[in-house]
Amino acid sequence: MKKIRIILYDIREVLYAEFGRVFHDSTVLLIFFIAPLLYPVIFCFMYEKENVTNLPVAVVDQALCDESRRFIHKMDATPEITVKYKCATMAEAEQLMRHCDVHAIFFFPKDFATDLAAKRTAHVAVFADMSSFYYYKAALLGSNAVLIDEMHTIQLERYAADGLTGLQAKEQMQPVAYEEITAFNPTNGYGAFLLPALMMLVVHQTLFLGICLLCGDARENKRSLLVIPARLRTRCTHRVTIGRSLCYLIIYTPITIITLWFIPRIFQLPQLGNLYSILIFLLPFVLAVIFFGMTVGNIFVRYKVSPLLCFAFFSLVLFFSTGMVWPQCNMPRFWYNFSLIFPSTPGVQGFIKISTMGASLSDVRTEYIALWFQTGFYFVTACFSLRFIKKLKLFNIT
Amino acid sequence: MNSNPVYRVFMREYKRLIAYPRYLVILTFGAVLTFVFFATMTDEGQPQRLPVGVVDMDGSYLSRRICHELNATPGVQVKEVFDNHMAARRAMQRGEIFAFYEIPKNTYNEVLQFHAPKFVLYNNAAYLLAGTLCYKQLATMGMLAAGGVQREVLRKKGVGEKQIMGLIQPVAFETRNISNPWINYGVYLMTTLIPAVIAFIALMHTAFSIVRERQRRTVKHWLKKAHGSTVYALLGKMLPYTLWYSLLALTANLIMFGFMDFPMNGSWLLMALNSVLLIVAAQCAACLIAGCINDPSLAMSVSTLYSAMSFSLSGFSFPIDAMPGFFQSFSWLYPIRHYFLNYTDIAINGNNLHQCWPHFCALLGFGLLLLLGAMVLKWQINNNTAEVKREVKKKQTVLSESEK
Repeated sequence: MKKIRIILYDIREVLYAEFGRVFHDSTVLLIFFIAPLLYPVIFCFMYEKENVTNLPVAVVDQALCDESRRFIHKMDATPEITVKYKCATMAEAEQLMRHCDVHAIFFFPKDFATDLAAKRTAHVAVFADMSSFYYYKAALLGSNAVLIDEMHTIQLERYAADGLTGLQAKEQMQPVAYEEITAFNPTNGYGAFLLPALMMLVVHQTLFLGICLLCGDARENKRSLLVIPARLRTRCTHRVTIGRSLCYLIIYTPITIITLWFIPRIFQLPQLGNLYSILIFLLPFVLAVIFFGMTVGNIFVRYKVSPLLCFAFFSLVLFFSTGMVWPQCNMPRFWYNFSLIFPSTPGVQGFIKISTMGASLSDVRTEYIALWFQTGFYFVTACFSLRFIKKLKLFNIT
Repeated sequence: MNSNPVYRVFMREYKRLIAYPRYLVILTFGAVLTFVFFATMTDEGQPQRLPVGVVDMDGSYLSRRICHELNATPGVQVKEVFDNHMAARRAMQRGEIFAFYEIPKNTYNEVLQFHAPKFVLYNNAAYLLAGTLCYKQLATMGMLAAGGVQREVLRKKGVGEKQIMGLIQPVAFETRNISNPWINYGVYLMTTLIPAVIAFIALMHTAFSIVRERQRRTVKHWLKKAHGSTVYALLGKMLPYTLWYSLLALTANLIMFGFMDFPMNGSWLLMALNSVLLIVAAQCAACLIAGCINDPSLAMSVSTLYSAMSFSLSGFSFPIDAMPGFFQSFSWLYPIRHYFLNYTDIAINGNNLHQCWPHFCALLGFGLLLLLGAMVLKWQINNNTAEVKREVKKKQTVLSESEK
């Protein structure tokens, strides 16, 4: 009983000391409190529009027939495309494309009209600007909708010419009907896809970098990051680890809830999961990041500024290794295993599945178990690394 | 001995780098790792054989044929055939499949009776790239299936093969994707992200080197080498990093446009100039930040916060013109934005300098940030020395008074 009380007393002492360190450091305050709240808001505003609309395109109409004009009008009427220029020659349109005035060219050749009249397949050439995936997507999305519509119109005309009209022609034209349902991201938008993952990553990186900064600060100033009660000396590093992690956990609980629950709500991102499963899922995530940060901070960081220098740019690789862009099943085996080192990988995957896709906790059990495993593993490494550097006498123990 | 101040500062920084190469090695390793990561990951161009599902409630010849044909396309593979909607939805939520087809009961019968059965295509847009690709494949397959049925019927009616194509598909697109005909995803990502990462690293390293002078209280020594001019001091300090990171950026470009055969329609020289100017512009931004902010770690974190948005504001993934007006103007403050526009101008559109000079000028304009940083630095140093002198004077007067 007495021993437990001593342990709790030690943990409390470490916790208070760590709080003091966090709140007396303007850089850590910036990274812990401003960045995770500011960035999600900035990015939400940035990707507010979700999709490209009114993409300027040029049209070269050498067919000059009824159908080509109707086609062009319909394209202009789609939300994705605006026919900005009507050119007489391809060279003219090419010039516009080279100056980035338009992002796609639709070319109706002369035989477009003759092919249609002869009941053959008529071709429209599309030249798409590939500098951004979204220009290409908008151009194809808008023009494909028109293509299908126009196909049906012409098909009806042709069947009518063959003596099939009304219901008969319709049945003939569409023997199988379609419905397309875009799940979990109804507008097929960039923001709804990117932002939840980005917010998770912001939480991961700010927490990780903040902890590394604190470790570096302590080591640089040869100040004790341990604030271990003198009687503990070289044992009981787990008490210090627990005390410090409690401090970060207390700070990050409200931040995580605001960043990952309230901000998506305010900006109306798709959110199907309920708060409880999200919270239960996020607990091991935050803990794993804390212990991961402490391990890396204890072992590698010697100066306060070096984590920002050496780890910040790595966020990009971290983002791509979560498998949100390039699916995990298509990653080379080596990178897939590499990505499992970081809590962000199971964290982002699980969070997207719960929050965006409405999965239950049992659906994400692989990720959930992985996070707890990481928590346990990094807790042990954090304790041992602390003991290791203590043995090296890099710290004065107060 | 050469008395050029920039050269003297350069030599001083160079010797330091050689003596303590730890960060240079780590950061170079980081840049190389990033390059290898993206190059090996996007090796296939587009993700191939993505897992999809089919909810086959019909179990007929037609539905099985659709499964087989889906499996025969390179883009997708049928991972599982489900017998109800819920199971497929759960699999999608678990991330096991990215899209699925639902083929209702009696489909084949209804097709034969011309009752137009309805196929439903669900795709998971939470994974945008994978979802979109699967959708594209499945939708094409659906079109082909419908076309196949139409063709069978028309054949039986005695319509000629040539006419059949005209009836099934009266209009078609011939898509020509300029400069990226394979729709290779690696081309999108790497051409902008790799220089962005190198610029990010150059910015952080330059800021770090300036910050270290303050931390070690060697500013005086540094300025002495530069004959007291902060502009020379900053220039000399930047130079070793400029050389090294420009070399990295140029090598990366050489590998991408040379060995990996990424499309390059313009002048190599301009592209090289573009890369070097990107590095210099990023370093100038670092000079301003590190020059203005006294606290070392605060300066570094502000540099990080600034650079972290560079990937989004380059506009390579989501176009800047679709962002709110504020961000459109804000993106001009990022060298990578100008780099990206120059890259599209040179490598994709094959333009030359008289076309893309505005953004080259903009990159050069970042030099003003260096001057601004130098001014602030000078002002701060003067302030500091004045303060120190005042304090010394105060102490002296106190001492002399106590002596009296």
